[in-house]
Order: sequence, then structure tokens, then C-alpha cells
Amino acid sequence: MSLTVRDSTIPDSPVGRWDARWKLAAVVLAIVGVVVLRNPWPAGLAFGVALALALLGQVRWRVLGSRWLVLAVGVAPVLVVLPFTAENGWATAVAVGFRAFAVGTLAVVLVYTAPLARTFAAAHCLSVPGVLVQITQLAHRYSLLFFGEARRVRIAMRTRGFRSTTNAHTYRTLGSAAGTLLVRGGDRAEHVADAMRCRGFDGTYRPMSPFRTGVWDVVGFVVVVLSVAMLVLWDRI
Amino acid sequence: MTVAAEPTTTAAVRVHSLTHRYADGRVALNAVSFALQPGERVALVGPNGAGKTTLFLRLCGVLHGKPGEVNVCGLDPADPKQRKRMPERIGVVFQNPDDQLFSATVIEDVAFGPLNMGATPDDARRIAAESLETVGLKDCAERSPHKLSGGEKRRAALAGVLAMKPGVLLLDEPSMFLDPRGRRELIRTICDLPGTLLLATHDLEMVLDCCPRTIVLDGGKVMADGATSELLANEQLMTTHGLEVPYRLK
Repeated sequence: MSLTVRDSTIPDSPVGRWDARWKLAAVVLAIVGVVVLRNPWPAGLAFGVALALALLGQVRWRVLGSRWLVLAVGVAPVLVVLPFTAENGWATAVAVGFRAFAVGTLAVVLVYTAPLARTFAAAHCLSVPGVLVQITQLAHRYSLLFFGEARRVRIAMRTRGFRSTTNAHTYRTLGSAAGTLLVRGGDRAEHVADAMRCRGFDGTYRPMSPFRTGVWDVVGFVVVVLSVAMLVLWDRI
Repeated sequence: MTVAAEPTTTAAVRVHSLTHRYADGRVALNAVSFALQPGERVALVGPNGAGKTTLFLRLCGVLHGKPGEVNVCGLDPADPKQRKRMPERIGVVFQNPDDQLFSATVIEDVAFGPLNMGATPDDARRIAAESLETVGLKDCAERSPHKLSGGEKRRAALAGVLAMKPGVLLLDEPSMFLDPRGRRELIRTICDLPGTLLLATHDLEMVLDCCPRTIVLDGGKVMADGATSELLANEQLMTTHGLEVPYRLK
């Protein structure tokens, strides 16, 4: 009996097939490299490298666009203020903008070119403590459930005539709803812990995904890390 | 109608004078005694708050108690050393499958138990694939649990427990929130399951299909224990304990 290991939601691509450990290591090092860039040209080129990786990973433009929009909202205040406050302001603002978009795009590459479980397992292989990996994985799984529950509570409130305004009743009601969600979250955490113990969980993280390194995994790692290292050198010279 | 079960050494599950009191003083179980023979399929019915879930949590060792009250396949969950080995012997499918499906993909979730039992990743994947096929979810292996329908979630949770190959299986309200088709599929799956089964449910039609024996629990006490067809047809017994005679027996 065999099962397909590939996640059908992840497009088949060279970046998707890249061993998750090498990819994670390369992307994390690339992010560190990008963060230390100070000049607009190297930062712009770093954004180009990140975009090339995303396109090679067949990340959809819609996904990229939506994430860039969120990023733009986040960095916009900084970009607006910097030209008028910092020395060599325009260049600094452009560099900060490119850096932010490069880091965001690299994060998208990490999230959208491999199943999250595989990336978590890769992080564990790269010596990230199992308890941290497990907590992140559970937080991801249950945040979806939490938002679903919050949506249901909101609908239940609206069907009983609640409309959010700025009076004390609104704050009290929203406070109660948030409290209810937290209490339910606490209960759920207890139930999850019971279910895990019933299946023999003893606190040890045991990933299922086997990893196999090929030549191209190492080549990909070297190319990405060398590219970013050269950008950092160029930036500093 | 109470038939006190004689404790036997060969029983898959033996419960003897089991009493459980919560920290707030509420007595959830009061001198409960029964035994399940290997391969027996028994329904546990009763109104809300009867103590069904508490009984399950005591049987699998999540709630602790005094030694000698519970014995599952030769293990006493009151003993910490034996409690660690309980997951190999007894599996629980909880009321809400979302409490039980915590991994990023269905197959990872089903493989969670075998990995904890020391299986290699390849073996765990193979066992998980077999369990998913048993419950008819082979095609959902790589899907995220939160994208499954209610019935699929329920079957995925069942697969996660079957992957442990437990001798005793406890199912808590397995048909809750299922549509008629999902419920029918689940009944078929449950009827085909091997091993000893204790099924807590309000779905008495399902009990008629799956379990020849029924235990009625109310207020933490065993009120009746006997053949399903006899107990469920007893209108006075059913009404007294907040239940109804199934449509098929009227």
C-alpha cells in the first residue's frame, strides 16, 4: 500500500522538491543577509533574488500580491517618515522597503513551497527544540479553529441583534465574547492534552517525514547563500 | 434489571466498585462495576451528565483513581508504570474530533500514536495508511484536518486510534453532528471493527445495530446491564433514565 507524500496544494517545482532542511537553512541565512543590507541597490537585487526563488517555486502572483499588500501597509509609515528624518533619507527608505519586501517574499517561499509539517520537521532536524516545534505546530492548527469559533460567536451575536459601536455595552459584550473564547480555548487545550496522552505522547516530538539529501539540494543551498553573501560584500565595499 | 457483572480474570475490561469524585465534590461515578469480555461490543447509554465520559477517562488513565478499581487487559491505570502502557491496550475516540486532530496533515495525525509507540517513520506511515483505508479516508491522507467535513474528521480521529491497534476501543458519542449518510458510513465502520468495544452514545438506533449488550448509566451508577434488545424495549426503564425506546422497537 502506498500513499502519495506530496501535498496536492503545493505546486510541483524545483523549490518545492528542494529538501526542506536545506531550503530552511538557505532561506534563514538569506534573511539574515538581507537584514544587514544598507544600500538600495544591493537591497533591490536581494528582492530580485527572493522574487526569482518565489517564481521558481511557482508561488501564485495572487498569494505574493496579498502578502506584499500586508507588508506595504506595515512599512508605509516608516517609508513616509524616513526621507524627512534620516540622513540620506530617500536611499535609506528605498533600502528599508526592498529589505522588507525581500524578507517577506523569502518567508512566502518557505511557507508556500512545502507542507508546513515538513518545514516544522526540517526545523527540528536543524536543532530547533522539539517542544518549540510542537507548540508552533499546535498553535497553527488551533489558531484556525480559534478563528472559526470566533466567527461563529460573531454570527451568533449578530443574529441576536448585536451591532458593534463605541458604547459601554459594546465593550462589555466584546469583552465577554473574548473571555468565552479564551475559556473555551483553555478547555480545548485540556482535551487536546488528554487525547495526546491517550495516544502515548510523552512530550517528545517525533516527526514522520524522512529527509533525503541530493546533490541539487546542496547546490541550491550554496547558490542562494553565496548570492546573498556577495550582496552583503557589495553592500559593505 | 441490574445485573452485576462478575469480575473475571480473563475480562478485557474489569471495573470494580469504581467511584470518582471531582475536585468540586461532585460524585461523577458511584460504585460502578461491570466487566467486558474480549471481543464483546457493549453500549453505554444514559442521559447527559450520567458519567459516561468520566468513566472513559478513568478507563484510559487520564483521570487517576485508587488501585484495583479498573483493570484493562491486565493493566491498572492507577499504577503510574502500568499507566504508561495503557495507550497500547486501550484507545479512546473523544466526542469532539477537533480535540483529537492536532497535526498539520491527516496522515501525520494518524501516525502520531504509532510514532509514540516506537514505530519507525516508514512503519508509522504504512500503519497510518492502513488505518485510513480501514475507515475509507485513504484519499484524505495529505489534507489538513481542519478542511475535512464533520464525518471525515470523525473517521480520521477513529483511524488515529485504530493505528495504535488497541485491544479495547472506547467511542464517545461517535455519531454526534453527523448527517444521515456520514452516520450510516460510521455505523458500517464500527460494526466491522475488531476487538472489544465500549460505545457511549445517545443514538439508540446505532446501539441496536452495533452492540448486543447495553449498560444504562445514570447519576454515576449502573442502572441496568443486559441484552440490548430487552433493555431498549423497556419503556419504563428508558423513560426513567431520560431515554426513549428506539423507533424500531416500538
